[in-house]
Amino acid sequence: MSPAYILKRIVLVGYTLLVVSLIVFAITQILPADAAVMMLGENATAEALAALRAQMGLDAPIWAQYGHWLAGVLRGDFGVSMRTGQQVGPVMIEALGRSLLLALFSIVLMLMLALPLGIIAAVRRGRIADLVVSVISYIGVSLPEFVTATLVVLVLADWLQWLPATGYVPLTENLLQGLRHLVLPVLTISVILIAHVSRMVRSELVDVLHTDYIRAARLKGLPGRTVLYKHALRNALLPTITIVALDIGYLLGGVIVVEEIFALPGIGRQLIVAIQSRDLPSIQAGALIMAATYAVASFLADIAYARLDRRIQYD
Amino acid sequence: MIELLRRVLRSPQGALGLVLVGLILLVVILGPWIAPYNPESLAPLQRYKPPSAQFWLGTDQYGRDILSRLLHGARATVVLAVFATALGTLAGALIGTISAFLGGRSDEAIMRTVDAVMSIPSLLLALLIVNLLGKSSLNALLAIAIAFTPGMARVTRSVALAVRKQDYVNAAIARGESAGFIVWREMLPNVVAPIIVEMTIRVAFAVMLFATLSFLGLGAQPPASEWGLMVAEARRFMHLSPWMILWPSLAVAFVAIGFNLLGDGLRDALNPRT
Amino acid sequence: MTPILDITGYCLDYATPAGFTRALDEVTLSVAKGEVLGLVGESGSGKTSLAWAIMRHLPESAREAGRISLVDKDLTTASAAEIDAFRGRRIGMVFQDPSTSLNPTLPLGEQLAEVLEHHRGLTRKQAWAEGEAMLARVGLKLPAQMMQRYPHEASGGEKQRVVIATAFACQPECIIFDEPTTALDVITARQILDLFGELQAETGVASLYISHDLALVSRVANRVAVIHRGRIVEQGRVQDVFAAPQDAYTRDLLAAVPRPDHRLVEAGPGMEVKALVEVDKVSVRYGRKPFLSKLLRRENTQFTGNREVSLSVREGEILGIVGESGSGKSTLAKALTGLNPFEGELRFAGRPIGGLKDMDRAYRRDVQIIFQHPDSSLNPRQRIREILSRPLALYGTPEQRSDKTAIGALLEQVRLPAGYADRYPHQLSGGEKQRVAIARAFASRPKLVICDEITSALDVSVQASVIELLVDFQKRFGTAYLFITHDLNLVRQIAHRIAVMYRGDLVDLVDVADLSGGALHPYTRSLIDAIPAPAAIRA
Repeated sequence: MSPAYILKRIVLVGYTLLVVSLIVFAITQILPADAAVMMLGENATAEALAALRAQMGLDAPIWAQYGHWLAGVLRGDFGVSMRTGQQVGPVMIEALGRSLLLALFSIVLMLMLALPLGIIAAVRRGRIADLVVSVISYIGVSLPEFVTATLVVLVLADWLQWLPATGYVPLTENLLQGLRHLVLPVLTISVILIAHVSRMVRSELVDVLHTDYIRAARLKGLPGRTVLYKHALRNALLPTITIVALDIGYLLGGVIVVEEIFALPGIGRQLIVAIQSRDLPSIQAGALIMAATYAVASFLADIAYARLDRRIQYD
Repeated sequence: MIELLRRVLRSPQGALGLVLVGLILLVVILGPWIAPYNPESLAPLQRYKPPSAQFWLGTDQYGRDILSRLLHGARATVVLAVFATALGTLAGALIGTISAFLGGRSDEAIMRTVDAVMSIPSLLLALLIVNLLGKSSLNALLAIAIAFTPGMARVTRSVALAVRKQDYVNAAIARGESAGFIVWREMLPNVVAPIIVEMTIRVAFAVMLFATLSFLGLGAQPPASEWGLMVAEARRFMHLSPWMILWPSLAVAFVAIGFNLLGDGLRDALNPRT
Repeated sequence: MTPILDITGYCLDYATPAGFTRALDEVTLSVAKGEVLGLVGESGSGKTSLAWAIMRHLPESAREAGRISLVDKDLTTASAAEIDAFRGRRIGMVFQDPSTSLNPTLPLGEQLAEVLEHHRGLTRKQAWAEGEAMLARVGLKLPAQMMQRYPHEASGGEKQRVVIATAFACQPECIIFDEPTTALDVITARQILDLFGELQAETGVASLYISHDLALVSRVANRVAVIHRGRIVEQGRVQDVFAAPQDAYTRDLLAAVPRPDHRLVEAGPGMEVKALVEVDKVSVRYGRKPFLSKLLRRENTQFTGNREVSLSVREGEILGIVGESGSGKSTLAKALTGLNPFEGELRFAGRPIGGLKDMDRAYRRDVQIIFQHPDSSLNPRQRIREILSRPLALYGTPEQRSDKTAIGALLEQVRLPAGYADRYPHQLSGGEKQRVAIARAFASRPKLVICDEITSALDVSVQASVIELLVDFQKRFGTAYLFITHDLNLVRQIAHRIAVMYRGDLVDLVDVADLSGGALHPYTRSLIDAIPAPAAIRA
């Protein structure tokens, strides 16, 4: 992997963020609501409105507004929330931290379950185990987060009363309580990911197990475990990296729903609140940070893939 | 067409998917007629009833029959999802085909931009668009269509490029066929099949996305009997009657499973070489 | 001599929804120490099934009868543990394509050393040292570096040497060679064959050499067995079988082998016949300068497909173009049909063709191309009728366009039943599909047909019938061919002149008769030397 490849990928991340910033700005700035009216109320005087617009830069041409906003973003200044009057940036970054914790736990749980399930299904292809995994994954990919959340709350919180249904306790405050509050959200997010990734692992591994080099490894007299773990998995898991990276985008969408349902103060919940209250700077910051998270994650996945796959010569 | 059905029925996924989607379509068409009650009629004395012979799936917080509401809601949920997917597919296919056709630097620029748009999670993009356009079912449909466009553009482009490399296209060029003939008669039939498969699977996703938007209060609005909205409304009464929340949740999952299975069945059936 | 590998009355059936289908029928053969038994058959003959049966690599749907013994042990009754113990240790195997039989994510050395560690109980360090010695033995120049390399960092010949080293690693009693040179270029194949001969003589391993290539088997084997539809139809010493084949199928197979001395066409058009196509200093370059490389001032990454190639084809002449993969043969074919942009001059029937825009209707009608893989060149979603109707719609006579039997006539011309018109390509065999492609090319009565490796995906006997068809058409219609192939023997049978290409350059353009003697480019020389001329075959 050459430095030129990494440079190229970094340029692409920059381009991605530029496009996203344009889209987010375009969508939010042509919102029907007039930001100044929203802040001051319907009865505000024309002078007061004009003064506020001038202060917020809303009277400038749209391109100038975009440039002004982008310049601020590049300095780390996302503006002031129209709802709370606080700086948006630090609030969103703090919320992102909590969401990333949720995402991280979900990815770990997903990998712990999806890999074995996919491997079992591929190795026992056409047998009962394969069928069971297949049924599980069909059901899993067909459950939207709000349905999964409903079901886990109904069973684990409501009937069995094992876990709290909603709320958030920082891990630094009380580790055990904090973790207990994370279980249901993590479970909810993981279900769809487990279903999807285990299916992908299965199909990749089934393909790899049919290649000439796996047959060659078997016919060299290597034991089945060596063939599976040393020869097959390595090749099957490489494409899975890309799939997991793509799923991070889906996971971030799921985070929005799950945080709303479980009242977790992460970036998804901040976004929903911002959208409901039409808090433009918060919406812009939240959407941009989320897209940036995805862009960085897929950048890292690409680099990891390039490092692991020796075949491809990147330039 | 008959031949295709036969081939779909050959795989277990295809057969099951076809049955499920067939049932769903039946409900979409006949739902309002086979519903035992008026989905809007309030019955204060019949609130929070569990399933019984009178109300097969129970009643909700206003005493409305849940089964009737689900049967009526099928139209709102499924039809919108299908339209949204079709619209997104059309737009994506157009962009993907143009990109593949132009090739070179324009192709690269278009695809990099598509990738950039895809880095906004679909749900977030849909939320932003609905917020821009205003809360309503129709706007949710547009939002989902727009959110699906970049993904479909990517799929279409890769399929079109793969087909473009085939020797039957080269043969047509060497034979002196017109560009129109090559695109319509040689390439399109081979491009359409994988896109139909992708589209079918995305209907499942659209149903889920649309229900999620309604659940978050940004799609269908009360008193509509859209399933996601029903789940959202039932959440407050979860302790009084879990049935209220269970049935519409399962309905969403049922539709999604049906389209997922059918999509996989079609994938096998549309492969011309099997 | 006692046989190492002994197969008696072996039958193999596969369960299908329609019942059992027989893959191998009463196969009896044996290989003794120091002996090479050549097993010859076409695709679907069961030769690979036999290899899997010996290696105990059969699907669950397999049902077998008979015996396969290695020295004294019956393999058909061996337990899973016993199978693991003899595979790779007592029976080795060399596979057809080294680019797919090596794991792309493991270093070559690892894939060799793991066998030594597993079967001979060596430590990792010992195994790597031993592996290095083995790589040196199979003729690799820098064995230590080669151990560290990944498959994509080695050439096809180098990889196949590693595979051979792995097969010989545990000094097995028997090795199965499954078409070990088929995927390699001619000259590399020759070197691998020489290596096989050396190692075979040195170790005295009992070898079962599987191949579709009779000429090749005649050079490497002591004895030969011919397999057809799962049955061994003939078996004996190479000289005997080739000199006096007893079975009808063997005779057909022998007759189908291309032999340079057996010309299939009459003398070519003389010098007075005017040139149909003139290619004058035509160059083709692929790729564009990547933006970033330009920015970083890196050297030009464009890739040259053809460098100033000049040749001409006279009316009714068959010009053969030979060269290994990547030599630019197909690039030239694509340039002539407007599938690649080119620089330089092209004249057709005296008319200059500067580029794509000059290739008008008349040119398209007169110049047709047939591709290597009919699977790719026939649209899988069109029926044969629709495929064949296109050239008629574009270039046919008004009568042909209105005549409902025109399609059937085209099919019958290539000796296919007219009823095939309603089939889809996947319902036809490989040879039948290629005939449809030929029918399509000839429908417009072209003056020049470019044949791009059109028989290399076909079996020998099918190839022979396709070639016969082409020769017949050439006689009837006086069509000129540009016949592109890697098979020198084949092209010597049918071409009037031969052009040799090497890495984008045209290195030789000679009359067929001058190939045996005359002043030739060194590459052409080595190409002729590398090809096993079927000298041993005396029908």
